[in-house]
Amino acid sequence: MSRFTKAISLLLVLVGLVSLVACGQQEATEATEAPATEAVEEPQVTQSGLVFGMSVHSNPAEDAFWGVVEKGAQDAAATYGITLKSGGSGDPVEQAQLVENFIADGVDGIFVSLANPDALKDAVTKAVDAGIPVITINSGVDVYKELGALTHIGQTEFVAGQGAGEKFNAAGATKALCVIHEEGNIGLEERCDGLADTFNGDVERFNVATTGVRDVAGTVAAIQNKLIADADVDGILTLNPIIAIAARDAIAAEGGSQKLGTFDLSPDVLAAIEGGEMLFAVDQQQYLQGYLPVVLLYLYNTNLNTVGGGLPVLTGPGFVDQSNAAAVKDLSAQGTR
Amino acid sequence: MATQAVSDERLAKVGLARRLFQQPEIGAVIGAAVVWLFFAFFAPENWATLNGLARIMDPASTLGIMAIAVALLMIGGEFDLSTGVMTGTTGLVAGLLSTRLGWNLWPAMFVSLLFALAVGYFNGLMRVKTGLPSFIVTLATFFFLRGANVGTTRLVTDQVYVGGIDKAAGFASARAFFNTGITLFGIEWRSAIIWWVVLMIIASWILLRTRYGSWIFAVGGDAEAARKVGVPSARVKIGLFMATAAAAWLVGMMNVVRLRSAVASQGIGQEFIYMIAASIGGCLMTGGYGSVIGASIGAFIFGMAQVGIVFAGWDTDWFYSFLGIMLLVAVLVNNYTRKRATEMSVAAAKSRTEGE
Amino acid sequence: MAEPILQVQNVTKMFGSVIALSDVSARVYPGEVTCLLGDNGAGKSTLIKILCGFHQPTEGDYYFEGQKVSFNSPREALARGIATVYQDLSLIPLMPIWRNFFLGSEPEKRFGPFKAYDVDFAKRTVREEMAKMGIDIRNPDQPVGTLSGGERQSIAISRAVYFGAKVLILDEPTAALGVKQAGIVLHYIVRAKRRGLGVIFITHNPNHAYPVGDRFIILRRGQVLGDYQKDEISQEQLVNLMAGGEDLVKLQQELARLLEEQVEAA
Repeated sequence: MSRFTKAISLLLVLVGLVSLVACGQQEATEATEAPATEAVEEPQVTQSGLVFGMSVHSNPAEDAFWGVVEKGAQDAAATYGITLKSGGSGDPVEQAQLVENFIADGVDGIFVSLANPDALKDAVTKAVDAGIPVITINSGVDVYKELGALTHIGQTEFVAGQGAGEKFNAAGATKALCVIHEEGNIGLEERCDGLADTFNGDVERFNVATTGVRDVAGTVAAIQNKLIADADVDGILTLNPIIAIAARDAIAAEGGSQKLGTFDLSPDVLAAIEGGEMLFAVDQQQYLQGYLPVVLLYLYNTNLNTVGGGLPVLTGPGFVDQSNAAAVKDLSAQGTR
Repeated sequence: MATQAVSDERLAKVGLARRLFQQPEIGAVIGAAVVWLFFAFFAPENWATLNGLARIMDPASTLGIMAIAVALLMIGGEFDLSTGVMTGTTGLVAGLLSTRLGWNLWPAMFVSLLFALAVGYFNGLMRVKTGLPSFIVTLATFFFLRGANVGTTRLVTDQVYVGGIDKAAGFASARAFFNTGITLFGIEWRSAIIWWVVLMIIASWILLRTRYGSWIFAVGGDAEAARKVGVPSARVKIGLFMATAAAAWLVGMMNVVRLRSAVASQGIGQEFIYMIAASIGGCLMTGGYGSVIGASIGAFIFGMAQVGIVFAGWDTDWFYSFLGIMLLVAVLVNNYTRKRATEMSVAAAKSRTEGE
Repeated sequence: MAEPILQVQNVTKMFGSVIALSDVSARVYPGEVTCLLGDNGAGKSTLIKILCGFHQPTEGDYYFEGQKVSFNSPREALARGIATVYQDLSLIPLMPIWRNFFLGSEPEKRFGPFKAYDVDFAKRTVREEMAKMGIDIRNPDQPVGTLSGGERQSIAISRAVYFGAKVLILDEPTAALGVKQAGIVLHYIVRAKRRGLGVIFITHNPNHAYPVGDRFIILRRGQVLGDYQKDEISQEQLVNLMAGGEDLVKLQQELARLLEEQVEAA
């Protein structure tokens, strides 16, 4: 066999391999969708032929919080017979390009999170101008209307932060850290603003974005060092369940008794609340932030319904504390809370 | 003499194919064809359309501009790990000056360019004067800028991103100049594509048709030997580092006018994607060989992957696995074709000098 | 006898307290090959570095074309016509022949307001110059790394000749080559000499030096052990000298003279 023929054969084999991988992935997606349908015990779901796109500001595959959002969207898509294309990135350019790719792909609905509204403005406007209904979720409650989105599904961060402040007051804390784990996210800043608004003591913003959720050990160390450096801190508010556990570990390592509260749930967080290691969790029910947009876009496509009456659809704040932690924990283990 | 005639004959026959395979871009071209066919098969609707092409060229253009600069640097035998973070820093500098100090965006962007050139000069100077590997020098720059991005932004704005840049004077013209949407055949194309193509032509011309190009190849192939024959190695290397920084500035400005904002975490991690695109394009990690057209094709392959995966309806997680396979295939092809192209030459050389 | 094109007189070079060269004198004539011989550590490379402008002598004078000179860098020496071909050849393996040939002295032509590399001229010239050396380069785009050792040497020599070298310094060109390849290089040295250059051939192999050399300078421990013209010494004597048999050689020469005198007297 000549070397040239060998080379072509090698290329074909490689293409074949990649196709196998892709096919396997397709089957996997179909396989995960099937059990979801069965679990809900619906009769045979007819495919609506609708395609929706989800583009958020963090990769759902790498982030526990957004993984729950994506699960909500996938469950709704399975229930309503919708094809869901979802993705996310911390790079606003990539997030915007994903939206533009959805538009080019001719989807029937798009939902996005607007952590950086300026960055997504053009892409969202383009979608709206192209006649594609857009819903915003999670962040961007102040700007969704001017961008032409149908509604916003999420939690008003400021109000939720205020609730957290009141919780810390009730616990008698005097100085609280607000741990910021993500760069460029206004929503996080607004939560700290809300905290500062109602909390009677001092609030200090503490940045762990360099390690964040990607390097948890580094975040634990950072918080630990802060606690050593500042003995006045007696309350910590984290804004993500992974960071919450990091803070818990940091407090335990230092042998301190700082009061810990967090935004958003995870099984570990619920176990910690149950065990008394954490005071409370602010629950924005992010599962709904994935589930509801799919439902609302479906209803808009089939029946031109709109929900909210011009106001955002609130999924929170709910508070989970020791009184209801156990019940919610079982649900969180399924990846839906 | 008989041997001479025979080898002439052989040369003539395989001439075209051999010459084609000698081109450094061949691996990238094959890779691009394979990827295109692949997605044409898995995502038949929307793929082979003008719209699809416009979507592919959107990320390919900014990636391509950086890949071209990074390719030139790699051919010159060096690495720059600060390229990714620089796309963010340059945007932040321009953004902070225009939103906090109220500057017109144009002088703010100009100051940002000066800053970028200064960083490039610093990278090059450090590399040349200390003799430390460029990997290390630019890694240090990368870390420094990464921290400074967040630290400075937070210091000035209490936030980690600079928004509202579209309110600054000069924004509209800057947007039109750097990166706006151009509608052709009813589809919106990014004007960054024009920048990319023009820079690719200029860079290729410089590399292949001017003496500076020879110097770049020489400095990457063997810096000492080059210096001995009078090539100003130090100046060439410093110039190349300033070029990557300037390219990062250009992309930074393109991002700023598109996103109307600048975020402190922009670009971190992208530096490896630029190097991968350059490698796919035929650039050797050890320097002295490569192509900027190949690097552009590498960027195009990336664009195809990003768009194709969405059109095919797969999880975007598979993007990285896809990239890994792509890189391996392209580099293997490059390696193989280069070896093949030189084999015949070595045999002919031996027969010329010893067969007589 | 013609004037020497290059001459060094009483050159001494010290590095700190180390005496690398001591009172070394040498002459190079155009159209002749002057062989610089000696074992490793003899001072050959130091002398070469002075000749090519890399170092300046601590003491002594350097004359080129009858004028006293002092070079601050190899580029200055090159500009005067003293070309050096180093052992590593200063050829870049991945680059094509024509790029290597013109590296640092690229031919240019106008392209509008810009200066472009005159690639056609470069490729044509490379083929012509190599043909003068007896090599038919059919594809100047070949990377230099694909050529045999002998061919690479010829490119380096041909390049020096082309760029108007008046003196060609070859630093151990045959050191890394097999017998056949070395023979080819010696062939090119002769060609270069026939074109009127003064060639300085540095080697530690007297069997390579003798066939092509017109003049032989042997260095030992930084000093000149001997300076002979070809008709003054045989190949065997040269080998002996280098091996340390200088006393034997002197004796043989004295005896030879004595015998001549005796014959004349009788």
